[in-house]
Amino acid sequence: MGLLGAGIGAGIAAIGAGIGIGLIGKGAVESIARQPEASGDIRGAMILTAALIEGVALIGAIVCILIALGIGQ
Amino acid sequence: MIQAFRRIIITVLFLFICTPASQAAQDQSTSSNDAPIDVVGKVADHHSLDIAYMHIPLPRILFVGGSAIPHWYWTTEAAVESGNFAEENGALVTSGGSAITLDMSITSHLMFFWLAIILTLWLTISMARRYRQGIGRNVEPQGWFQNLFEITFVFVRDEIARDNIPDDKYEKFIPYLFAVFVAITFMNLFGLLPWGATATADITVTAILALFTFLITQWNGSKDHWRHVFVFPGVPPIMRIILTPIEILGLFTKPLALAVRLFANMLSGKIMIIIILGLIFIFAEGFGNFAGIGVSFLTVPLTVALYVLKAFVGILQAYIFTLLSAVFIGMAAEEHEHHEEGIEAHA
Repeated sequence: MGLLGAGIGAGIAAIGAGIGIGLIGKGAVESIARQPEASGDIRGAMILTAALIEGVALIGAIVCILIALGIGQ
Repeated sequence: MIQAFRRIIITVLFLFICTPASQAAQDQSTSSNDAPIDVVGKVADHHSLDIAYMHIPLPRILFVGGSAIPHWYWTTEAAVESGNFAEENGALVTSGGSAITLDMSITSHLMFFWLAIILTLWLTISMARRYRQGIGRNVEPQGWFQNLFEITFVFVRDEIARDNIPDDKYEKFIPYLFAVFVAITFMNLFGLLPWGATATADITVTAILALFTFLITQWNGSKDHWRHVFVFPGVPPIMRIILTPIEILGLFTKPLALAVRLFANMLSGKIMIIIILGLIFIFAEGFGNFAGIGVSFLTVPLTVALYVLKAFVGILQAYIFTLLSAVFIGMAAEEHEHHEEGIEAHA
């Protein structure tokens, strides 16, 4: 049961992070297409924002790993 | 052409030498339990180093029962033989009544951490010596070594420090940011070497690095930084009851997220490679050896691709750690010149 919960939790974390990073990528690509000369700044901002989202998703993933390995029971 | 050919031959030879040893280490670790592949044992910290067919035990330093004098043993076996400790499920426990208060044992991750720091020190000191001689200042930088690390240094200075930290203060933080960037890159890439361990796939290592960032951020916090934490300009007083705890919590969640991000990225990359390679053993056990051979044609190229991805992610995560450190330091060190009441954005 714990393994099931961990799997579902990791999946939901991946869905959330996927939507978020997808939106960032969409925005970044659109703005680079509009202003190719600003691509350096946009890329920096994109990586920074993606990293912030990724951090939250990875905290979820770590919790799932801890559940799956049974650490803390 | 001949040189390239020689390099390929050496690489292939190196791989052939490495492969049996990693296989042997795998057999050793699987003998303890029934699972075809021991995922946790591969990523966990060990009290020994397995390098080049050698099993090097590392010293154990244990503080027991509140005494300031540690018990020191060269190996785990010596600790067990001395009679003061007993081994239980792979961990040491005291045979007496008192518990182990502090385990300061030297572990494999710590060895790779030290190796990364020694490499960083050697790199920076040898670079500084060259610049002191005038190479790179009066004349052009010479050799691939200086050129490569001058690019890295200029990248950290311009793209990371100067963009995110206020102009009059950023120079002070470049040594820290550069050291962190290079050391984390080394630690991440050590995990890709044969017999290597990713020291950053250990929450203690990344937590210490994030703690340094946290301390530097708070030490260099400007008056405005603290005012935005405790008192909010332009916010109704009743809102401060809600916002102040959130801001104080926010001080600690930033380095926490920093530590967990690096740790989880490195750990997940490592687990992913082990699991995809482990599919071979799982299929071989479940459907016979031919299924294992068949699956290996799929998984081995996939692992190669993952290795390339992991090398990229290793450098990217070092960049993100450094960039976010710079952003946090910059946010704290920033001084707001004009206070526009009400619309002041605080982070």
